Amino acid sequence: MASDAPPDRFDPLPPDAQPRVPIGGYPNTLRRNPSQPAFRRPLTRTELTGPPDLGPRLQPGDSDLARLAPGRIALGQLIHVGGRVVDEDGRPVRGAVVELWQANAAGRYLNPLDQRDAPLDPDFIGSGRTRTDAEGRYAFFTIKPGAYPVPNSGRWWRPPHIHISVLGPSCLSRLVTQMYFPGDPLNAHDRLLNSVADPAARDSLVARQVPPAEVAGDWLGFTHDLVLRGRRATPVLP
Amino acid sequence: MALTPTPWHTIGPFFPRSFFREGDNDLTRGTALGQRVLIRGRVLEQGGGPCVNAVLEAWQADAAGRFGHALDPCAEAADPGFLGWGRAWTDAEGQYAFHTVMPGGYVDPAGPRAPHVNLTVLGSGIMGRLVTTIFFPGQAANAADPVLCSLPPALRARLVAAPDGIENGIPAFRFDLLLHGPPEAETPFFED
Repeated sequence: MASDAPPDRFDPLPPDAQPRVPIGGYPNTLRRNPSQPAFRRPLTRTELTGPPDLGPRLQPGDSDLARLAPGRIALGQLIHVGGRVVDEDGRPVRGAVVELWQANAAGRYLNPLDQRDAPLDPDFIGSGRTRTDAEGRYAFFTIKPGAYPVPNSGRWWRPPHIHISVLGPSCLSRLVTQMYFPGDPLNAHDRLLNSVADPAARDSLVARQVPPAEVAGDWLGFTHDLVLRGRRATPVLP
Repeated sequence: MALTPTPWHTIGPFFPRSFFREGDNDLTRGTALGQRVLIRGRVLEQGGGPCVNAVLEAWQADAAGRFGHALDPCAEAADPGFLGWGRAWTDAEGQYAFHTVMPGGYVDPAGPRAPHVNLTVLGSGIMGRLVTTIFFPGQAANAADPVLCSLPPALRARLVAAPDGIENGIPAFRFDLLLHGPPEAETPFFED
């Protein structure tokens, strides 16, 4: 059982590898982030633990966002996004809940709050949920989202991106992030992506394209691994 | 050589409503032991306006102070009727609610923990997550809680919920959050 033991060591997140706020053109990054520095607290049992089995509560839904029903395929470039969820020791995180949401191919979300004048796709809902397998793997079929302009931001366009939320073995291993696509010219200008100072950390937010010759189906493949916070205080040798 | 954790980003303005089901803000599994309580409040942003569409996640011990998690030596005795986790989102007024039971305290190597609920706040513009802890009024154990005592004394009352009447026979507590404001009014948050 030792190899399945959850992480029990949580070092502070390295600040250069996390976003800095506020971000210009995104007033909520000022209005909703504290003016005061966060207080340091001891990490006790309640902070180190988390719900071990969220499956019954957050039930895995469809991990195929591209096909709403037989014959109803979303508009856009069909893609497969998958990868491994690991902890800081590189150990696979099994049974993690992975939630994904994104805009459609025209860059519009199926959300009442997105009132941009761009078409909705009746065959695309744009959200799904799955769990990682025994090797920590997750995968979704979907379409490549479109870029969209951020309202009242001075012509800032969000590059195509996919939102990913992961609930792992501890509350401290919680992760909400966004995945970007390799080679998109908008990436270099994106204020969220570039709010992460460390180039290697920034690069870790960009998926890798699978060489098309290695993809069996009629879609493009992207791999995107996710590293959750947490190590084991006493590493167990294999 | 440890890997670097994947950087956080905001949930943005369009976290799917379809991710929420009825009862997601209930930390019990319907049959939990202990005194049922309602925790409710508002999430406010700079200037005191409502923080709409924030996502709140709560995690707490069962009524006996146990967690059904491998790091709790008492995990096997944890209440099977209690999940301990719930998720809520704020409406147009910034209001949220959690249905749960009064958590038990427990003894930790860092000190005796008072009854409390761990709270995570996610929202558009919140590029990481904000973490704080809800304590309960009238608990003698608050005075020695090592997390509450890590705050300057003048700020500790800000993390203690207020009695808020009885709702359908269940004691209610109010815990409002101000995400950005004057130091004396802003909710204290902890390092993640």
